[in-house]
Amino acid sequence: MIGLSTPPMSSVLSIIEQRLRELWRSEPGQPARSRVCTMNLIVVTGSSDVADHYVTVVDEVTRGTPARAILVSMDPGAAENLLDGDVTAVGGDVATFSERVRLHASGGACARVGSAVEALLVPEIPTTLVWLGRVHVDDPLFIELAEYAERIVLDTDYTSLSSLLSLARWARADLRRPAIADLAWTRIAIWQELCARFFDDPHMREHASTISKLSIDQASETGARLGSEGALLIGWLATRLGWKIERLGGALRFKRPDGGKIVLTLRAIQRREGVAPLALAGIRFESTHDGKLAKGEIVRELASGAAVHAATPDADVLKWKLDVDLPAATEQVVRMGANKGGRLLERVLHRPGPDAALAEAVVIAEELNDDGVVCV
Amino acid sequence: MSVTPNPLRSGLEGDRTGDACAVVIFGASGDLTKRKLMPALYNLAISRVLPGSFAVVGVSRKPLANEAFRGEMREGVSTFSRRKPIDGTLWGDFEKGISYAPGEFGDPATYEGLRTHLEAVDKERGTRGNRLFYLAVPPSEFGPILRGLRQAGLVSDSAEGPWTRVVVEKPFGHDLPSARGLNDMIAATFREEQVFRIDHYLGKETVQNLLVFRFANSLFEPLWNREHVDHVQITVAEEIGVEGRGKFYEQTGVTKDIVENHLMQLLCLTAMEPPISLSADAVRDEKVKVLRSLRPMERRVVAENVVRGQYGRGFVRADEVPSYREEPDVAKDSRVDTYVAMKVKVDNWRWGGVPFYIRAGKRMARRVTEIAVTFKQVPHTLFRSPDGGITPNVLAVRVQPDEGIALRFISKEPGQHTILRDVAMDFRYGSSFGSNTPEAYERLLLDAMRGDATLFTRRDEVEEQWAWMDHVFDAWRASGVTPPPVYPSGSWGPEAADDLLAKDGRRWRKP
Repeated sequence: MIGLSTPPMSSVLSIIEQRLRELWRSEPGQPARSRVCTMNLIVVTGSSDVADHYVTVVDEVTRGTPARAILVSMDPGAAENLLDGDVTAVGGDVATFSERVRLHASGGACARVGSAVEALLVPEIPTTLVWLGRVHVDDPLFIELAEYAERIVLDTDYTSLSSLLSLARWARADLRRPAIADLAWTRIAIWQELCARFFDDPHMREHASTISKLSIDQASETGARLGSEGALLIGWLATRLGWKIERLGGALRFKRPDGGKIVLTLRAIQRREGVAPLALAGIRFESTHDGKLAKGEIVRELASGAAVHAATPDADVLKWKLDVDLPAATEQVVRMGANKGGRLLERVLHRPGPDAALAEAVVIAEELNDDGVVCV
Repeated sequence: MSVTPNPLRSGLEGDRTGDACAVVIFGASGDLTKRKLMPALYNLAISRVLPGSFAVVGVSRKPLANEAFRGEMREGVSTFSRRKPIDGTLWGDFEKGISYAPGEFGDPATYEGLRTHLEAVDKERGTRGNRLFYLAVPPSEFGPILRGLRQAGLVSDSAEGPWTRVVVEKPFGHDLPSARGLNDMIAATFREEQVFRIDHYLGKETVQNLLVFRFANSLFEPLWNREHVDHVQITVAEEIGVEGRGKFYEQTGVTKDIVENHLMQLLCLTAMEPPISLSADAVRDEKVKVLRSLRPMERRVVAENVVRGQYGRGFVRADEVPSYREEPDVAKDSRVDTYVAMKVKVDNWRWGGVPFYIRAGKRMARRVTEIAVTFKQVPHTLFRSPDGGITPNVLAVRVQPDEGIALRFISKEPGQHTILRDVAMDFRYGSSFGSNTPEAYERLLLDAMRGDATLFTRRDEVEEQWAWMDHVFDAWRASGVTPPPVYPSGSWGPEAADDLLAKDGRRWRKP
């Protein structure tokens, strides 16, 4: 661990670069060290505390995906103009997998962070920018770092859907701009997959266009706002199924392409320890086609993942059930997969880049958000 | 029935689930089911790609109750799954779909009982009459099983409505007539689109990556021809011996066990032209063209282009191991090959004059499967190297173990003098993407459930492979099948194999 706070700023970078080289240097008589590096991972946080917290996430990701990770924290209001840094090898006792660089800028040095990060990027490999906080697309640091990134990741559970929406609009304005990803969107991927599964059977296909009731459960107190996960899932369903928003007396409603209405119910389910606030807890639908009623539900057993060896509380069980004109309902049990920190970010990194479905879903999600929809 | 696409699948990334179906495994009490098939299905369940409406039905002679069969399967999964320990909650849900239907394969009552059983499964599990029959049995059992299925009305021939597919394991015959006989027998029950011939090598990530590597990178394809490639070496080397399969090996030998299928498939993927699409038939059409381009091995040239060998005693990983003839169920004067090396020519525009050296062997120095493309020397040497020459660039695709791709090239050592040194640029799957890649059987079973036959072998491929190999067998038979030279276990094969390349001024790699 090194700590640097020596002006001029370039000398800080020189020392960091020197330390990075030393990580991979073999001592005489020692086995040669080989290096794999598959990406640059830039993480920008508003404060050192958040950066400290995110170190474990970054290390978890870069143990499985060799990378140079650069964690940036800033304190623009500080009186002193300072750039601090340190370099750490990420790995086990005998092997190094990745490099982690911490940069902390304060005062006027914050304006130079983009230049510092640029100097430290490994060339010729993809760069991902994780922005933990509210995004302003006119922020000079954002613009500078986005220039190098192939993908920008944010987490609307901890920022806002409007951040995601403005970022999606910004990206759409120029095809050369990076792909946008959202950790909350990745969290609901398993819900999307299971929802799609209701209509995989050709006999169920028409039921998708006749949904009349949709109910969303959220792990929260009664009266809590609809979280990003629920809002994005409803947005995704609405855009895939061609639902339009209409308002009656100020209240938001969905209308199907055939003119039918969808009754939307939002319910609050008591949150359990280890489950993230406003997490999606269940979804139910009803549809009728050719006189046959189909009922589908996916219910999360909150905190059931905590009981499983080596799983996180977020590796909860989801119970999927479809009841439609068969002697017995079809049921399936799947596990969500660990949704915590590193695993989730890793999944985002392995997803395809541009995601048109996200860009479409977020428009409706934000309308729900704007309307102040709450769970009862 | 015209079916509109599922609107929620549009733009959804990730693996599509298999179709709702019942997987019916014939030979369910055998090793393959316990070691490979059930762990693969369980891992598909863990990966959330099995459909909600899914069932596995085991069929075998062994009398077993459902509970006992489930217990055996759980034990197999606990031991052989790549994910451990077993997830009790998910297994509990998965095993609800497992059932067992005992019966003799030659007894029509077995299939009547199976039909009733499957009808009940359809009702209980919602499998909608879709069936994937997996024949995890020797080819001698194919006839009775296929006949039984057909006679019991368990095979749907319709392109619409419930589907029926069959997966067959190798060996697909032992020569061209037997392969044709087997294919005819299958064709009497199933259309070719319903047949999935498994070659598990094609399910390996690196083998699939070979297509991506060749056709998604503009860097290599322009060099992938006779103008730039000096020769290609394909190696399938195993450390193990016959491992109790002496009886089987006495009937087959390494040429039929490995070369005819795995090695030929690797050769095809290396040499094929870009397919017009990644559809099953487009890829397989190109592979068939390679097989048809192989220069037939006429009797008079077999001896100078093919080397056989049989392992003797030796040391593998420091353990002393017996010779092949000392293995159980092996004749003391056996003439069966446990090693074979061949020089193969691909007579087409791209590869004219480029030799493909292929070899496969048991009890070799190391377990490795690789495809190594050696490029031509630079036309003029500017540098003097201490060993008197510059080694050519080699691109090595490692299929197993340590799946990856390595490129060897020449670099200058740092210092005042110009000293050249071989260096390698090494990409390893495990290092770059994490090591928890799916087993080949997982990918292949899921593809079969989805009806995607790209990674399965088509009838004409199998028959072309045998047609070419039969020239070699014919020459061996004509010359009286002399005893193959013995090579020490733990070596890289007999000296004659080194001579095969030495006379062309080349050497085998020691991967």
